[in-house]
Amino acid sequence: MSSRPLHEWMVNYTPQTEWVEGKGVMFCLAFFSIQLGAGMFFVSSIFGILLGEFIGWLICAVLGGGLHLLHLGHPMRFYRMVLRPKTSWVSRGLLFVVAFLIVGGLQMVFSSRGISSLALLVVANILAFLTVIYGGFAMNCISGIPFWNTALLPVLYAVAGFWGGAGLSMAVLLNNGVSAGALPGVGEFSRGLLFVFLFILPTYLIAARYGLPAGKASVNEMVRGRLWLLFWIVVVSLGLVLPIGVVIYSLVVGLEETPFILLYLSITFELLGDLFLRYLILKNGFYNPLVPAPAFYISGKNAGTS
Amino acid sequence: MIRWGMVIDLQKCIGCYACVVACKQEHFLPPEVFWSRIVVSESGEYPTVTKLLYPVQCNHCEEAICVKVCPTGASIKREDGIVVVNYDKCVGCNYCIVACPYRQRTYYADSKREYFPGQGFTELEVIGKELYPLQEGTAVKCNFCAERIDAGIRQGLKPGVDRQATPACVIACPAKAKYFGNLADPYSEPSRLIKDKKAMAFHPEFCTDPSLYYISR
Repeated sequence: MSSRPLHEWMVNYTPQTEWVEGKGVMFCLAFFSIQLGAGMFFVSSIFGILLGEFIGWLICAVLGGGLHLLHLGHPMRFYRMVLRPKTSWVSRGLLFVVAFLIVGGLQMVFSSRGISSLALLVVANILAFLTVIYGGFAMNCISGIPFWNTALLPVLYAVAGFWGGAGLSMAVLLNNGVSAGALPGVGEFSRGLLFVFLFILPTYLIAARYGLPAGKASVNEMVRGRLWLLFWIVVVSLGLVLPIGVVIYSLVVGLEETPFILLYLSITFELLGDLFLRYLILKNGFYNPLVPAPAFYISGKNAGTS
Repeated sequence: MIRWGMVIDLQKCIGCYACVVACKQEHFLPPEVFWSRIVVSESGEYPTVTKLLYPVQCNHCEEAICVKVCPTGASIKREDGIVVVNYDKCVGCNYCIVACPYRQRTYYADSKREYFPGQGFTELEVIGKELYPLQEGTAVKCNFCAERIDAGIRQGLKPGVDRQATPACVIACPAKAKYFGNLADPYSEPSRLIKDKKAMAFHPEFCTDPSLYYISR
């Protein structure tokens, strides 16, 4: 239950709680894990990092899938969730995830045995891409929450998923002894995504703020509400400013000279920032007040909106 | 063609909560689960404050978002317009609950919760779990007392006219603020009220085409 006074329920802007409080925290973690894992698989397969593909696949399957099942009220009925792909994004998402895990798994097995199959790689990557983006669309189609009901949300989530995946892929390479200067393009890819994310996040927040009043309330709560510290310190300072600082430092001194610890810290905090950004977006998803403004009550005019 | 719907006269509602209690009793609803609510708002400033009362419940929308987003097909819209949940199919993903812009669905989280904690279930709760078993871990909501309507129709009664075939909240209202009937029939009482009194639904911008209308003062 929200900590807001009960008498304010749907009289004032009311936050959703089912996907972020109590058991809902698992939903938040599951969405994050699935998109991160699929993003990591996608990036790793493009740059030929087999271990990265495997770890991404594991994150998606075990962490993401497991947390999704734990969130359900009846997890043993999960197979029923594929029955409505025509209208339900959750249904489509489960189909994408299952197909991705099967095809991605096959692709890894073939790769590990030196069997190259371009068709399988392309299909696996398409499915990984769909797995990364479906979560944003599942939230975006909820018209009752203006903060989510924007075309920018799926883009934001997709970029965050790929960015996190690129970061983790980099971490795998660094851990395997590849020097920072020899990162085969994944470093530049990650940097590019960072700057895209840097553009999309404020655009998303500004667009929501100047949209419907409930969207404005969501943004205000996020940047100035009870959890403002989480936003400004974890999401912005650690999750964005620090990685930008590391990128600028590496551009100045050269990637070869950049200490590994800085790169690992940058990757860790960017993931932490992404996770808490998703948490805050879920936490601050406000519904419009259910009841109309008093003018409706009196005269029947201005009905339906407050 | 039948499309069951309701009109609520806000001029008559006195906020007695009889509809809320009747619904609770009719369906043996557990603690923290409400299918019918009164949302209380106010306008003005002290000393000239007006209390605004809005009885709310599932709107049984013609274009129900909850039905569209349900991944298992547990949420369905019957031919008579009533939106119901098949608890045996519901997987408890909460998507319908989050998607409903009117927030009229509830997640039934804990079947062991008692009205009087530590004192065991009351007789009513025990009977309720047998007569009207809700499934823990599923989404629950108002169903326009579909059981009463179906049973009444089988007996040749008319929902909205005959008490036994009419939703409990409608017949419990002492102010007779609720009207139930077939919105597809232009001569039914709710249809005439919508036309004559210019009744309106909440939030038409959601494009859900609700079956619940309100008459303003």
